[in-house]
Amino acid sequence: MTGWLRRATIDLAAYRANLVSLIERMAPVEVLAIVKADAYSLGADVIVPEALAAGIRWFGTVEPRPAYEMRRAGVGDDASFFAWQLGPDEDFDAAVRLRVDLGVSTLEQLEAFAAAARAAGPGHEALVHLTVDTGLHREGCLPADWPAFVARAVELRDEGTVRLRGAFSHVSETSEADDHAASLVFRKALDDAEALGATFEKRHMSSSSAGMEHPERRFDMVRMGSNGYGNPVTEGVTAADRGLRPVLTLSACVVRVKRVAAGTGVSYDYTWRAERDTTLALVPLGYADGVSRRAQERADVTIHGRRYPIVGRVAMDQFLVDVGDDPVAVGDEVLLFGPGDDGELTIGEWADAIDSIPEEVSCRIGARVPRVYRGRTATTGATTGATAGGSGAGASS
Amino acid sequence: MTQDVRLTVDTAALAHNVAVLREAAGPALVMAVVKANAYGHGAVECARAFADAGVDWLGVADLGEALELREAGVTTPVLAWLHAPGETFELAARHDVTPAVSDLAQLEAAAAAGVRAVHLCVDTGLSRNGAVESEWPALFDRAAQLRDVLPVEGLMSHLSNTSPEEDGLQLASFLRASAALGERGVEPPLRHLAASAAALHYAGSHGTMVRLGLAAYGLSPFPDRTSADLGLRPAMTMTAPVTSIKRVPAGEGVSYGYLFRPERDTTIAVVPVGYSDGIDRAASDRASVTIGRRTYRVRGRIAMNALVIDVGDDPVEVGDEVVLFGDPALGRQGAEDWARASGGITWDVVASLAARLPRSWT
Repeated sequence: MTGWLRRATIDLAAYRANLVSLIERMAPVEVLAIVKADAYSLGADVIVPEALAAGIRWFGTVEPRPAYEMRRAGVGDDASFFAWQLGPDEDFDAAVRLRVDLGVSTLEQLEAFAAAARAAGPGHEALVHLTVDTGLHREGCLPADWPAFVARAVELRDEGTVRLRGAFSHVSETSEADDHAASLVFRKALDDAEALGATFEKRHMSSSSAGMEHPERRFDMVRMGSNGYGNPVTEGVTAADRGLRPVLTLSACVVRVKRVAAGTGVSYDYTWRAERDTTLALVPLGYADGVSRRAQERADVTIHGRRYPIVGRVAMDQFLVDVGDDPVAVGDEVLLFGPGDDGELTIGEWADAIDSIPEEVSCRIGARVPRVYRGRTATTGATTGATAGGSGAGASS
Repeated sequence: MTQDVRLTVDTAALAHNVAVLREAAGPALVMAVVKANAYGHGAVECARAFADAGVDWLGVADLGEALELREAGVTTPVLAWLHAPGETFELAARHDVTPAVSDLAQLEAAAAAGVRAVHLCVDTGLSRNGAVESEWPALFDRAAQLRDVLPVEGLMSHLSNTSPEEDGLQLASFLRASAALGERGVEPPLRHLAASAAALHYAGSHGTMVRLGLAAYGLSPFPDRTSADLGLRPAMTMTAPVTSIKRVPAGEGVSYGYLFRPERDTTIAVVPVGYSDGIDRAASDRASVTIGRRTYRVRGRIAMNALVIDVGDDPVEVGDEVVLFGDPALGRQGAEDWARASGGITWDVVASLAARLPRSWT
C-alpha cells in the first residue's frame, strides 16, 4: 500500500458540466467564469483550460497579474480576461499589450490606461470597463463623479485609444432591497452614459446568486464564481436545487487509531474528554491546511458513510475524530466535505458549521494539500499539486 | 510595483530569538520547527536562517516537508513525525531524513528502508501521535532488537499545555518511557518533550532537546506575556498598499453585507488583502491595521481579495503602506491582535498565510 496523507480532489467533469448548464440557462447572456484567488485555490492553470473546453470565453481574475501571466503562457488566447482591483502602480502597458480588460474606477486610472495604449502605438487600445460604485464602496466611480468620468472615456474612445468594452458594478448582497437599489443606480448610470454617447459591449453587475435569481439584472454578462464550482451561496439553496454538482472534495487518510478510556483528555488544553471508553482516529489535516479550529465539535467528518465529530482542539497539522466503537482502521479515507454522495457534508454545510462561507473554505485550503484532478479533458502542461506534496502524497490515480 | 500584499521576514530576528531561547533552554539542544511552511514564514529560507543561527535540528510534520528542505540543499538533521499509512520511508532513507515512529509497523518499515536512525514517539497524554503506554513493551522490545541496524537516537512526546499538573503527569509518563527503554539497554541521546512554552517556563521538561516553534518566530505562546516580555522579536511583517480611497457619507453601507455604516462622513481605504491570502474572515469589523503611526479599524466584511479600513479624515493616499501586523514594539498590530480579533490563536494567524504570497527575507 502506498500511503497518502491528504488531498483536495477536483472533479473537472462536474466543473465543465456546471458551466455548460449555466451557459445554457443564461443564454444569450454571456457567462464570465471567476478564477480569482487561483480559482478559489483549485489551480487556475488547470481550471481555465477546462472552462474554455466548456465554452467559456470570459474570465475574471480580480487582480490583473494572474491575467497577464495566463496571457503570457498563451492560455485562452481567443478569450477575454477581466481584472478590476488595480494596484497603485498598475502595469497598464502590460494590460494593453496582453489585451487584458481592466475595470477602471478613477480618472487617473483611465488616463494612465489610455496613455499606455497611446504609447504602444497604432493597433493598440485600452480595453476599458467603467466601474460604477452602486453601494459597496470598494472600487468604482461614485454616481456624482460619473458624468465627467464617462465624458472623458468617450473622448478617449473617439481618439482611438480606449475601447469601451464594459460597464460594471458589484453588489453587496446585504438584502434584496439593497441589491435592488444598487441595480437602479447601475441602470441610471448606464442611461446617463448612453446620453453622453457611450455604448458598452458588456454591461455586467451580477454574480452567481443574482445571475440566477434576477434575470433583469443580468444585462449582457453575469460573473459566475461559486455556481461554477457547484456551491450556490444563496441561503437554503443546494447544488442539486440548481442542477449543479460540487466540484471539490477534501479528504485525508486515518493515520492512527487509538482506544482511550473514559475521562481521557485529548489535544491541547484537554478541551474534550471521553465520556466513555472510545476509539479516536487521527486525521492529518490541521488549520495550516485550512481546517478551521472552529470545526471542533461543530463539523462532522464522514468515514465509510458514517458521520463522526471532530473532538479536541484542531491543531496545526492534525485533528482527532471520535469514532466510538466502530471498526475504523489506519488507511481509511476521511471525507471532510464533497458532493455528498457518501453521506459527507457539502462544502456549504461545512461552511455553515464553522460560521464561514464556501468561498473562504475553498480558498484557505493550504499548499500542503495536493490538488488531485479527475476528469480532465483539456491538454495543458499543468500537473497535479503545485505543492510540496512529496513522498507519494501527490497520488493522482 | 507596490501593488502586492507582501510578507517580510527578518532573519536577524529569527537568529535573535534562537539565541534567547537557547539561553532559556540551558544545556539542551534546540530544534527549530519549520512545519507548515515555517509557520507561514517560508520553510526553506527559514530553515537556512535557523541553520545559520546554529540550531541543532529542524523539525517538520511530514516527509513531504522534509524532502522540500533536502531538495533545496538544507543539510541540517531533519525530523518528521506524521506519516502516511503504509509509509515505506524509502525517500527518508535516500535523503537522510530521520523519522519519529509511533508504532511497530513504522519501526519495521524504517528498518527495512535503511534510515540512519529513528526517534520513538510516545503518547504521554495528548492522544494524538505516539505509542500509548500499553504498546510500549512490544515497541521498545523490537527497537532494542533492531538497535544495531537502526539506532534509536531519540525519544519524543508532546505536551498538551492544559495545566502545570497535567503537564507534570505527562513528564512523569515520559520519564517512565525513558526508563522502560533504559531497562532494555536503549539510551536515546535525544529526549525531547518541550515545545516553546515549556522551553521557556518548564525547565524540568527540557530533557536533552527542546523544540522551538512559535517562539522561534518571535511570537509568544502565552496569552498573558508579549513577545517583548519574553525578549523575543516577531520576525514577520505583513504589508499591503492602499489601492483605493473613497469618501463615504454617514449612514452608507460598506462592503459585503453592509456590516459597517459610518456614523459620520468618513474616508475609507481599500487594502488588497482578503481571506484567500489566509486572513480569517472572522476578523471582519474587529481587526486593526496601521499606516505610519496611526491605527485604523477594519470595517465591514473581509472579502476574498480585499478589506476596507476606516481612516476618518486622515490624509491617507493610494499607495500608502498598510501594515497588517508586525512587531508591536514598533507600534504595529501583532499577529496576536489578529488572533484575538478572529477568536483564533497566534499560531493560526501566521500558519494560515497563503503559500503563494510574495515573501522576502532580509
